[in-house]
Amino acid sequence: MRIKLVPTSRLYLRILKDSLTLSLLCSAAIYSIANCATASSKPAIEPSITLRRLTEAQYRRSIADIFGNDIKIVGNFEPDLRVNGLLAEGSTQVSVTPNGLEQYESAARSIAEQVTDEAHWNNLVGCEQTHADPRAERCTATFFRRVGKRLYRRPLRDTEVATAVADTLAATKKLGALRSGMSATLAAMLTSPDFIFRIERTANIDDNNRHPDATPLDAWSRAARLSFLLWNTTPDDELLAAAQSGELITEAGLARQVERMMASPRFNDGVRAFFDDFLRLDGLNTLSKDATIYPAFSPRVAQDAREQTLRTISELLVNRRGSYSELFTTRRFAMNRTLGPLYDVPVATKDWSFYQFPDTDPRAGLLTQISLLALYSHPGRTSPTLRGKAIREILMCEEIPAPPANVNFSVVQDTNNPELRTTRERVAAHLNDDNCASCHKKTDPIGLGLEKFDGAGRFRALENNEAIDSSGELDREPFDGAAALGAALAKSQVASTCLVQSAYRYAVGRAILPREQSTIARYEQTFVGNEYRFIDLIRTIATDPQFYTVAHPVQHAAVADRKETPL
Amino acid sequence: MLLSLLHNGKPSMSTAVFANSDRHVVLRRILGAGAISIYFSAALPAAAADAPTGGMPGTRAFILSNIYVGNAGETGACGKLTDSAPETFLKSLPSSEQQNYAAPDKHNQLFALMQKQLGFKWIQLAQRNQNKNQLSPYWDKLVIDVAPEHARIEDVREQAGIPEGKGAIVFNHHIVAYDSCTDPQDFPMLNTGFHPYDGKLAFGIDLDGKRGRDQFNSPSGEPGVDNQLWRVLGCMKHFREFGNPENADGTLFSAAAPTLIEISRIDDTNNDSDVSVAVFSSIDPLIADGRGVALANASYTIDTRPELIAHTRGRIVNGVLSTDPVDLTMHYKEQIIDGIRQLRGVRIRATLNADGSIKGGFYGYYMLDSFYDSIKQMTQLGANLSNLSCPVIHSALQRYADGYPDATSGRNTAISSALNFIGVAAFAIQPSAIAEGSRYAH
Repeated sequence: MRIKLVPTSRLYLRILKDSLTLSLLCSAAIYSIANCATASSKPAIEPSITLRRLTEAQYRRSIADIFGNDIKIVGNFEPDLRVNGLLAEGSTQVSVTPNGLEQYESAARSIAEQVTDEAHWNNLVGCEQTHADPRAERCTATFFRRVGKRLYRRPLRDTEVATAVADTLAATKKLGALRSGMSATLAAMLTSPDFIFRIERTANIDDNNRHPDATPLDAWSRAARLSFLLWNTTPDDELLAAAQSGELITEAGLARQVERMMASPRFNDGVRAFFDDFLRLDGLNTLSKDATIYPAFSPRVAQDAREQTLRTISELLVNRRGSYSELFTTRRFAMNRTLGPLYDVPVATKDWSFYQFPDTDPRAGLLTQISLLALYSHPGRTSPTLRGKAIREILMCEEIPAPPANVNFSVVQDTNNPELRTTRERVAAHLNDDNCASCHKKTDPIGLGLEKFDGAGRFRALENNEAIDSSGELDREPFDGAAALGAALAKSQVASTCLVQSAYRYAVGRAILPREQSTIARYEQTFVGNEYRFIDLIRTIATDPQFYTVAHPVQHAAVADRKETPL
Repeated sequence: MLLSLLHNGKPSMSTAVFANSDRHVVLRRILGAGAISIYFSAALPAAAADAPTGGMPGTRAFILSNIYVGNAGETGACGKLTDSAPETFLKSLPSSEQQNYAAPDKHNQLFALMQKQLGFKWIQLAQRNQNKNQLSPYWDKLVIDVAPEHARIEDVREQAGIPEGKGAIVFNHHIVAYDSCTDPQDFPMLNTGFHPYDGKLAFGIDLDGKRGRDQFNSPSGEPGVDNQLWRVLGCMKHFREFGNPENADGTLFSAAAPTLIEISRIDDTNNDSDVSVAVFSSIDPLIADGRGVALANASYTIDTRPELIAHTRGRIVNGVLSTDPVDLTMHYKEQIIDGIRQLRGVRIRATLNADGSIKGGFYGYYMLDSFYDSIKQMTQLGANLSNLSCPVIHSALQRYADGYPDATSGRNTAISSALNFIGVAAFAIQPSAIAEGSRYAH
């Protein structure tokens, strides 16, 4: 098992580079918005340790939480970057390209216009020019102080508020209306790196238990880490209040907030976000199949298959407090009428419901859901190699090298080969080639266990009128069929270790550092002790003070030299 | 144990999710399919023991993607094809005028002339608040106080200037029409040029047990076929083309409210001497797959109005289902048509294919009013959209009707017919099961 580590120094260099890039890009954005000289153009923030760009889902959810679900976010965002299998890890390694900035700016303008339009003004802004406040300065300050705290996930400094008010007044004068002035300033804030990036900062907090190379995060950064881990969105007012009061710095206060947030239905969002990333389900967004071979498969099926997997997971792991290992054996699938035809089951409700497959059914566990079966197949045929590789890389955190460039795929691709009628027979050809065999021995025996499901995820007993043999082996343990493969994975220590490591990497947005191995070992031990309950694993991470630390920024002098204004 | 016995000792292909499914199978055995609520029915070919299945054991259901008047394919049976209304009207014009309207691109002008000369009315219904610019510029408009779908002909006839007792609301409730389709008897000048089908072959079966010269042989050689509807329609270009199975089997029709057939109490899908058969209408539209044909194994909620549900008994011999006679009312809803197909004394014969599909026919007596209503609904300026002649069809239907005589007048009210159908495996869902389905939702 190998996990790629990002060297600490490389990480800092990237952060520095990102900061510089962002600074330039933000300047461009700021000048593109009428009269908006925002706080981000001033070197007044604390030295940042990590920058994590919001994923598209986090951006959308944050806007909905702050301004309401009816605010439409139009356009596309720059694609997120998957690093070491996780978008979360990529989020600390991406900046914003000029094209991406245009997209953020376009979305920001649209959001700001909606927030300040007639339909939303009273509820979301509510500022008026009155005798007592003829230029609505006080109201404007109050608005940006309130909204800015949610957007930046920290309170705005007085200078930032003053700048926002001044910018609004100037824009109002130029554009002729308070709403236009507010809209311009709000759009600038939405384009600011303080919003687009989660900027984590450290604080001087005494903690005898922490690692000597680790520096604790400040309360606001803790709140953001916690909120994005548990809810995949910006901190709510209560969490920010806990940060403000210092509650989050204490273990008891932190535990209270963790319990509150995990008891919320929104915890499902956080769990879904992790598994969506972990299982790489975003690939279903662009998945297509050959309609002549798999006519029942459609973009709608792909979209609902993703939703099915996420609903199945959150129902089992959160609502039923199930164990991670049960995900590989559960026969209780979320179901709707779009997916019913591919599973060949009746669906009574027109909305989502749950369907329990009988014990004799070959469907059992996530591996037999359409999402993974279709995602790790070719457009017109199955692929034991892709399926086995996905299991190795995603669920077991192993790395399978890419195939050499000169591989001859003609035998494997010839599904009408009169001699080699089944996929098993065709992929066996790889095993005769020593160059290929070393990797295919790792992937194919696992993937062949799923051969009774075609490239769209439908059950099939035959291939080219030949009975399908779905036996295989997982690390020298033989199994027969997909359900047995799921059962083997459910018992796999490698799989449970992989989950713990992946959950931590997802939470911190980077590879595991050497000094964190003992922490991971402790998590694993607790995970086993808690019978592999996923929510307990998340609770363990979320309540661990270690989770709220970063490596000591000794190499970060260039940033640290900048003038600081305390929050 | 009971379940095993009911399935001849074979393990059930599925126990599905329903804790009470065994009980229902038993109840069905005792009471018959119509006596208890049906939750789900499934259509599944014989499959491997570990094949995933759903729905009720021993039950197969099908969604029909097309029901059509089948053309058995005999060539040379029609010396001439029956004229359409515009063709008849064109022939009635002086030869000098005929040349002006003969070309295909002159059809609209020909229709307009026919409308003007024969006194057709074609009035678009509009609500008072409807933007008049949205209405067709070609037809008269009538502003009404209710939505068009709620308008009644009696309420709008006088305003539209249509003779008392005449006219109809057609075109999906948006047009008030008075023409040779709504009132064919008023336009006898268009009732010419009919050519009955005099071939030997037609789809269908012997419905009355009698032999006579009016009968056909089926394509498979079965004699005594009663299908006078094909006698009427068999030399009309539209029905010859769209009744050709090569065209029809790949066409989705009545897709807005398709028909379901459910066979239950099946012990053996190849041979079973006693099965229950139900015919339902779906309230869900037909779902197509990526090839544009009906998607197999989809779930459809049935329309529970009693008149749209029929039950009968049947038997399967070598994979072919045959049923006892049953009266059927099926939805017929496609684009501008929103009607019903009403048939009496229908026997179903259908092949249950190994791939889970079904192909066969409804063989029985099509009620004249019901059949003509579907023709009338396709009216456009007195010329059926399919270029038929309504007066010809209306007259011929009366002439060739051969079943269900009216008790008072003695006139036949129905015509022997064969409606072919094709379908794929589906699940028939009772609305009551939708509420019950919530048991499985968290």
